[in-house]
Amino acid sequence: MKWHMCAFLIAVVCLSLLGGLSAQDNLANAQGKAVEQKITVLSPMGRPPVVQLKQMAPRLDTLDGKTVYLVNDGYLGTDILLGEMQAWFKANMPKVNIVYREKGGGGFTAEDPALWAEIKEKANAVVMGMGH
Amino acid sequence: MSAVVAHCINIESKLGVPTVPLITHEFYTQVKTHHTIQKGMPGLRVTYLISPVWGKTAERLRKDIVSKSPVSGKMIMQEIAEGLTKPLTAEEKKTGTVQQATGPERYTDTPDKLQQLFMDKRMTDYLPIVLPTEEKVAEMLKGTSHSPEEVVGQMAAHTPMPGENNVEVFEPWSYTVKTVAINAVMAGARPEYMPLLLAVASTGKEAISVSDNSFTEGLIINGPIRDEIKLNYGLGAMGPFSQANSTIGRSWNLLSINAGNCGRVGTTYMGTVGNPMNWNHVIIAENEQASPWQPYHVRKGFKATESVVTLCEGWGVLSAKNSKYSVWQKEMDFPGILKKIVSDQDTLFGALAVLSPPVANYIKEAGYDTVEKLTEYLLAPAEGQRAPEPAAKGPARKGPGPFGRLQINIVVTGGANNNYWSYGGMACRQSVPIDKWR
Repeated sequence: MKWHMCAFLIAVVCLSLLGGLSAQDNLANAQGKAVEQKITVLSPMGRPPVVQLKQMAPRLDTLDGKTVYLVNDGYLGTDILLGEMQAWFKANMPKVNIVYREKGGGGFTAEDPALWAEIKEKANAVVMGMGH
Repeated sequence: MSAVVAHCINIESKLGVPTVPLITHEFYTQVKTHHTIQKGMPGLRVTYLISPVWGKTAERLRKDIVSKSPVSGKMIMQEIAEGLTKPLTAEEKKTGTVQQATGPERYTDTPDKLQQLFMDKRMTDYLPIVLPTEEKVAEMLKGTSHSPEEVVGQMAAHTPMPGENNVEVFEPWSYTVKTVAINAVMAGARPEYMPLLLAVASTGKEAISVSDNSFTEGLIINGPIRDEIKLNYGLGAMGPFSQANSTIGRSWNLLSINAGNCGRVGTTYMGTVGNPMNWNHVIIAENEQASPWQPYHVRKGFKATESVVTLCEGWGVLSAKNSKYSVWQKEMDFPGILKKIVSDQDTLFGALAVLSPPVANYIKEAGYDTVEKLTEYLLAPAEGQRAPEPAAKGPARKGPGPFGRLQINIVVTGGANNNYWSYGGMACRQSVPIDKWR
């Protein structure tokens, strides 16, 4: 009997709450605050390219006896930086043959086919700066 | 903007020579999460040095290279040597393809939540947008006869210098007429702006450059379309005083962000201090009726009856009153003032002079009845000043700094109420016809 009474009371409370909510919705509607409807919109994104992974070059077993090109891409101060690196190699890894080159072409992104040909023929490795 | 990464990837993959690119450490995120992946070599062995390198003494740089990398914590010179000699890992040897995802084609939610979603996904300029429903986009597409699926162009966060043999630093994304329309809806544009927006989009020029210089862009608009879409070229011409003036630059911006992958801070945007003109850029409809000279586009070889848009890039514009040469006086020598200001411009972009009709007419009455005559006068050496170098094709010298010689662009716009005018360092490199996009 007690259980039936409890269930009855819970039902009354729930119905009262629902009624209250409904009344709130009616009030919101009356005040122009209707519950927002969902809408569908289009994505503004473009289409990115498929990326083809490229093969990294095999590494050297040692730098001793090898020719490392220090290539200056043209960013301000890179000549000084690479000059200091050249001095470091001479003092700390004297068996490495260091060659300093400035990339030509007229800008950071410009290709320098003559330099690329020289690197392919003569360089064992390249250190290039400065990216910024 | 790490051209060094692109060059090194080519040296590794095409020449078979191992490399270590040197990058300043503030560019780590850009290089690690964007450049190396987009260029197809995520394992590229980069050594990062303390930003910046420019401006430091040899002694300071000597200390930098024998210190630890601010990214890896390894000694810099040892890391370089290791990068060239340590065998490749299985991950570094991977080949194949990588698909890049851009999310679903549609989003469904309440308007407020969609506004927030677009902002969270960085598909906006952080201002509220007009939500691009199918209906609004269909209405926008009525502004052109071109198919919605037609590919308009490709765009990347950095456009290589025109006419040169350059390595691509950013991989370009492609977009259709419909993509342009969606972004135009978001910006608050009207269907009749579509031919102009498509003409701009067809160039592939990004509205927001990746450069740490914090560039801005500009559009000079000529021909009948100015009146057709109610561009303001009277009082306040460069300000936000008409729907067309206020939304054309924004449309280009949103297209660049969403369809060109531009303007993402840390990866495709590295402007050190930013540029407040990036919200809408420098939009100039020329006041052809009040100009004493031939319209800008006619001087570029187009017919007066054609509608043409010219794309400019540079630092932006500001009032000539800011110049020490432009002090208020009872009698003003506008040609002389213009000459002094132009002569002081850096040659990276040259000079853009935005003259109000009274100033332009004053200059004409002073004897310069064509812009060619005026330009000749402006480029002639002035007493006590260096002579500006004339415009030349291609780079004037290698390396950083001026990539071109002085270019002077003269355009007339604004009201006739006073003798004010503006100038800036902006190069105008290409003019494209609008009418074929109608």
